[in-house]
Amino acid sequence: MSGRDDQREGHPHDMAAPSPSSVAHRFGAPAAAGVPRMEHVQVTAPDLARRAAMERTRGRLVIAAAGFAVLFLAVVGKLADATIIDPQLPRPVAQMRRPEPPPPLPPDGAIQSAAAAASHDFGTRVERAAILDRNGEIMAISLPTAALFANPREMIDPADAARKLATAVPRLNEKMMARRLATDKQFVYLARHLSPREQLTINTLGIPGVYFEKTERRRYPLGRVAAQVLGGVDVDGKGVAGVERFFDQRLRDEPDPLRLSIDVRVQAVVRDELDQAMVEFNAIGATGIVMDVRTGEVLAMVSLPDYDANDVGHATADQRFNRAVTGMYEPGSTFKLQTASMALDSGAAQLWYQYDAADVIHIGRFTITDFEGKHRWLYFPEVLAYSSNLGAARMALSVGAEKQREWLRRMGMFGRLGIELPEAGMPIVQPASRWKEVVTMTVGFGHGIAVSPLHVVRGTAAVANGGILLRPTILARPPDAPPPKGERVMQQSTSDIMRKMMRLVVTDGYGKTAEVPGYFVGGKTGTAEKVGGKGGYRKHTNVAAFMSVFPMNAPRYAVYMMLDEPKANASTHGYATAGWVAAPAAGRVIARIGPMLGLLPATDDAAAIQATLAVPLQPGKPPGAHQPPLLIGEPSRPVPRPPTHVAPPARDAARAPGRMPARLPVMAPPPRDARHEAMLAPGPAPVSGRQTVAVR
Amino acid sequence: MSTLSRADTSLLGRWWWTVDRWTLAAIGMLIGFGYVMMLAASPAVAERIHVARDSFILKQVVFLAAAGCVVVVVSLLSPKGVRRVALVGCVIALLLTALTLVAGTEIKGARRWVSLPGMSLQPSEFLKPCFAVVAAWLLAEGQRETTRMRRMAWPALAVVIAGLIGVLLRAQPDMGMMAVIMGVFFIQLFLNGLNLFVAGGLLGLFGVGGVAAYYTISHVRSRVDRFLDPSSGDNWQVMRAQEAFGAGGLLGRGPGEGHVKDLIPDAHADFIFAVAGEEFGMIICLLILGVFAFIVLRALLRLLHERDHYVVLATAGLASGFGLQAFVNMASTLRLIPTKGMTLPFISYGGSSALAVAVGIGMLLALTRRRHNGDLL
Repeated sequence: MSGRDDQREGHPHDMAAPSPSSVAHRFGAPAAAGVPRMEHVQVTAPDLARRAAMERTRGRLVIAAAGFAVLFLAVVGKLADATIIDPQLPRPVAQMRRPEPPPPLPPDGAIQSAAAAASHDFGTRVERAAILDRNGEIMAISLPTAALFANPREMIDPADAARKLATAVPRLNEKMMARRLATDKQFVYLARHLSPREQLTINTLGIPGVYFEKTERRRYPLGRVAAQVLGGVDVDGKGVAGVERFFDQRLRDEPDPLRLSIDVRVQAVVRDELDQAMVEFNAIGATGIVMDVRTGEVLAMVSLPDYDANDVGHATADQRFNRAVTGMYEPGSTFKLQTASMALDSGAAQLWYQYDAADVIHIGRFTITDFEGKHRWLYFPEVLAYSSNLGAARMALSVGAEKQREWLRRMGMFGRLGIELPEAGMPIVQPASRWKEVVTMTVGFGHGIAVSPLHVVRGTAAVANGGILLRPTILARPPDAPPPKGERVMQQSTSDIMRKMMRLVVTDGYGKTAEVPGYFVGGKTGTAEKVGGKGGYRKHTNVAAFMSVFPMNAPRYAVYMMLDEPKANASTHGYATAGWVAAPAAGRVIARIGPMLGLLPATDDAAAIQATLAVPLQPGKPPGAHQPPLLIGEPSRPVPRPPTHVAPPARDAARAPGRMPARLPVMAPPPRDARHEAMLAPGPAPVSGRQTVAVR
Repeated sequence: MSTLSRADTSLLGRWWWTVDRWTLAAIGMLIGFGYVMMLAASPAVAERIHVARDSFILKQVVFLAAAGCVVVVVSLLSPKGVRRVALVGCVIALLLTALTLVAGTEIKGARRWVSLPGMSLQPSEFLKPCFAVVAAWLLAEGQRETTRMRRMAWPALAVVIAGLIGVLLRAQPDMGMMAVIMGVFFIQLFLNGLNLFVAGGLLGLFGVGGVAAYYTISHVRSRVDRFLDPSSGDNWQVMRAQEAFGAGGLLGRGPGEGHVKDLIPDAHADFIFAVAGEEFGMIICLLILGVFAFIVLRALLRLLHERDHYVVLATAGLASGFGLQAFVNMASTLRLIPTKGMTLPFISYGGSSALAVAVGIGMLLALTRRRHNGDLL
């Protein structure tokens, strides 16, 4: 100890042994210098300054320490945030799975009960929820399996390991495994989807460096039935199409099974009948839909050709294509139900109205004809029963383009369906600017617009169920759920008349082959020629559909059956039209599914029920009433229009002054040459604006 | 060490009774954590780069043992001895740093390393503690002068050396090290009684320098951009680190159960804190953080009773350097600040880093030993 500090109070050593000879060592003074302890301390000016500086330094030390405290507290805060407050969870793709140890082996005698426990455990152990049909039948289920992988570096003898594995599980390829195990990697897959039994066998081999990864395999017990609805999963268990894709997240997140509105029994029947019809008429494809018209639930949705949902990876694009919701087809005559409902509901038509179907209509480069036409004026019911294109075209024209578009939009024909399938497509519709009279006429009988079959079913369901448009759904409604809220799109009275019309088609029209005694089937045929590659229609290549609802007295189910490019055969007398190919299939489906769905044929009071549905083909005109003559299209007589229908004078009217007053179908033939010139002239001018509809 | 009697006046005996044993215990804890973390993180990294599984561990055992010895040996020095060592070290480190520019090993786009047999050395790591001590000495010398001219001359010399270091580090480039060294120097100036306006001005200069670095140095800019907008670029390591913390939660996945070390190339070095977070959880991370904070704050607050200006400035500089390095590492791993490659003292893998930190901590312990009037008791 070479020095003492007189300023250091409380230092026991200093206080206890004050030595007179000791010197105080002032701060800053040279070590050798000192002053006697008890003497006056002379504080020099630099010394004072130094002490002041030291005080300042101490103050700033506290500030610096506080600064560091703040920095470290910030780290504490962020650490708490990152770990417990808002933890970032690893993304699934970034997560490297480490093998979990296999479950402990049960004693030999307990294997059976363990397996039973495992199977009982399926619902909770797997990561993807099952899919059930509306009655609880399993449509898709995940089974726990194991993937086999290895770390070759931990292996003692890779070749021997491969041989042992192949011996234990014969379906494994020894050469492939040996080749993979010979690489200088730390991770190679050897096999996917080992059954628990195979896993146990391999485990008992005790090969070092071999691991299991818990996986699961999606199984579809029904195979091809409802393949496109279910879609399927890829090797990683991710939904690739259909319900599996639409509800991918839901199936991962929630363990409860997903219950679909599909009834597998109905689905199987529809598929069976479609398949038979497809073979019989050598069609390239087919689709069928059964929908509950009161709830919008889809009970069956079949698209052929289909595939085994267990093997979606090998399905062709054509097989995966869901014709029911993705396929956009010209609906053809099934759309006349829409035209008729629209005309009735808007007041533009009455049951006893007549429409000129005597001659073909030439409009532009189109010629509208009737298939097997009656070549006479047809009453309203006859237009539907005989599926008159001419009648439907005039009916549509009597409503007008604007109201027609409004009607179709309300009927959901311009938008997606809202069904829970990712494949649900968008209809192909002419934009309003190109919605000319010719479009109004052709759409009236289902051409010049392409919608999916489910669009047609949905619209027809609304026609039949009293006028409520429902969102189609693939999910089962809970039994105690309130009735779905639909949108009223037409008056109840319109629906009542249309039910009779649909019944009439089956009793007296082209749909007779769909009749099933006691089920009061109603419907409408639709045969649309397919558009060829060059934009024109191809003769003898058509889409034949039958849109039916049963029972017509109290509609419950809509059944739609469609064949894509059916070929005529001897049994159909050379016809490949809907009435011959699709309607019988629909009838067979109704006959088979009716009892399944709890509807028994009402044979006892059939006559009485039929009487309530009956409507004459040629209803009589009520006394005093008259059909607006314009709609009949008598060419030579000027027709006064109701004031609401006044529209600016059309170009044709100017061209033929005095003949037509205003608006709408100028049902007069201008000179044929002039029309041809108009249509052949380049540019949009001739087809814009009001257009002449010629009647010959 | 209870065998050491208080009456023991041997070198070790006097050391033991005067050294700050609390800080020594904290350093021991950090070295212990360093071993545990290396056991956890390095095998995965070693396997990935195809070297023997335990090679990192064995090397780190040697490094940390050496670091422990360095701590003890350096802490035996007197304040004057510390100053001499620092002066020599500062000159050598400066020369070596200059050498990296002509003969350095380029790793990941920067020339910061000098290759030595068995290891690569980053001289600027040693520059940090040595310059802190040298700067403290120069500033303290300034305080002793009486004439205004001479009072300014000493600090001016320190500023010149700091400027030289700045130029060298800018050329490497090593902006993180530069920021820490300059930050430490600033803290020393501040403690030395720098006029608050000047201090504010210097802080402003720091800001301007940072902005200038952002606009002139592309990798600084990309780092900052990626920090501000994670989607703008490759934030892979940092995002994986965040997930590691998230997966660890309060108690961690358990030793050896972490995944992040399989994913992050620097898991054993700059991102060791994330491995700790994933495997041992928030509580252990808080403990590590607490040890660092304890060392820094204890060193700073104990200086309140110190009257030797040189000791105050040097200790504060060393403690600040240590604390800033730990802060930058943990904060950038936690995405609190833009990513800056800096090791976590004693815990990250790395010989050069461990030895340099050991030198600094050894000096700190040497300076904080209990003394009487500048002489060791």
